[in-house]
Amino acid sequence: MIELYHVWKQYQKPHWALSDVSFHVERGDFWFITGPSGSGKTTLLKIMFREILPTQGQIIIDRRNILKISDHRIYQLRRKMGIVFQDFRLLFHKKVFDNVAIVLEILGVPRKEIRRRVFAALRMVNLHNKMWEYPSHLSYGEQQRVAIARAVVNQPTIILADEPTGNLDTELAFEIMSLFREINKRGATVIICTHDRELIRHFGQKILFLYKGKLLRKEAL
Amino acid sequence: MADQVSQNMAVVFFLEKDVSEDQLRSIEEKLAGSSLVLQANFISSRDAVTKFTERFPELQGIVDNLRSNPFPPSFEATLKENLLSSDITAEVIAEMVILPGVEDVQFNRDWIERMQSLSRLASAIGFFLGGILILASFFIISNVIKLNVFSRKDEIEILRMSGATNTFIRIPFLLEGVVLGFLGGLLSLLLLLVLIQIFPLYLGGSLGALRDLINFRYLTFPQSVNIVLGGATIGFTGSLTSLARFLKN
Ligand SMILES: Nc1ncnc2c1ncn2[C@@H]1O[C@H](COP(=O)(O)OP(=O)(O)O)[C@@H](O)[C@H]1O
Ligand SMILES: [Mg+2]
Repeated sequence: MIELYHVWKQYQKPHWALSDVSFHVERGDFWFITGPSGSGKTTLLKIMFREILPTQGQIIIDRRNILKISDHRIYQLRRKMGIVFQDFRLLFHKKVFDNVAIVLEILGVPRKEIRRRVFAALRMVNLHNKMWEYPSHLSYGEQQRVAIARAVVNQPTIILADEPTGNLDTELAFEIMSLFREINKRGATVIICTHDRELIRHFGQKILFLYKGKLLRKEAL
Repeated sequence: MADQVSQNMAVVFFLEKDVSEDQLRSIEEKLAGSSLVLQANFISSRDAVTKFTERFPELQGIVDNLRSNPFPPSFEATLKENLLSSDITAEVIAEMVILPGVEDVQFNRDWIERMQSLSRLASAIGFFLGGILILASFFIISNVIKLNVFSRKDEIEILRMSGATNTFIRIPFLLEGVVLGFLGGLLSLLLLLVLIQIFPLYLGGSLGALRDLINFRYLTFPQSVNIVLGGATIGFTGSLTSLARFLKN
């Protein structure tokens, strides 16, 4: 599903943010990427959704070399993915419903179908009764659940999350992680970056350890 | 000044000596019917001789010795000052000259040419100012849109992450640019209308007789349409350029 071959990334000389990272993720896998702050987790994720280009190496996603996709076709890659960020990245001038609906509007889904699917996604994260609120009226945990609903609403095959629980306390973090498990059970391949050891101890099966840009260990518990 | 100008605006149409009554009448009608002509006087050959001898009494002897009258009959036309845009004048004169019975025309070409170069200068200044304004509005519009794009960069970012095509992202901004440019064009037409009303009042006496010569004409309909469409085009390209940066990977 996702294959990285000898990926290197340098922002500024002489420091390497990633050095020679290779790994494979199978369809339906649930992986954690972990490591101390500055070890290259975010960089690795950004390379996977082609926010940035690696200095060297190849990345195959869904049998396509994503580095060979031209700039104006990247949307094809992004439509297979749902991305969740630490800072939620919601639009605060839009209601919860519209924050989620935006993804389907992009795809030109009919209005009625949008309503049905947004409702289903918000129901999964248990926010269907706050559909017409503005995100600023929601708690952090709820805001992140909106972001997760937005990431899954078009049923992507891959979910990428960068420190999705970074701004949440332990209890909420566990709640959010359970949601990702649920999404994974429904068939999506999930990759989550986190430096939270407790979460990994509790939820982790397959773990990549990064340290100073190097892949130290791959672990499948 | 005013006197000099009106003196200079007399145009003399010399007629053929054997001009027929019919031709005479049709020339007179044409002159009387022209919106440009204030007044036209017929001067017969005989009148011309009289005028000549009145003016140059010392030449009386020469005139008396002539076997035939050398002076052709003519019409002396006085033109309306405020219509004296040289293009129209030239046109009317050209129309008159080809009438049967008209032999020649005499007017102060110098004056007309000066008027023409003045109006050429005015339009050159106009084009220059117009060019500067177009450039200025391009930068203003593209900056407004740049600010707008910048203030909505989060939204653009989310759209890109969610798999929106560049076209999908661009459309609202392009529409906005077009509407902005369109409204800008309309507004400038309105301002121009107001200015044209006020400007002659403002200049008032300082222009003197020239006030009548300078024509504060509003734009023609096609020109107005072009300004509005031009504004829309500027808005379109302005937003296209300010978006380019955000849509690169
Ligand atoms: N845009 C950037 N420009 C320069 N250096 C960067 C940039 N982004 C990240 N880095 C550097 O790359 C390294 C890895 O960063 P990052 O991938 O954000 O690590 P993590 O997500 O594990 O904390 C760090 O040393 C960081 O300073
Ligand atoms: Mg990070």
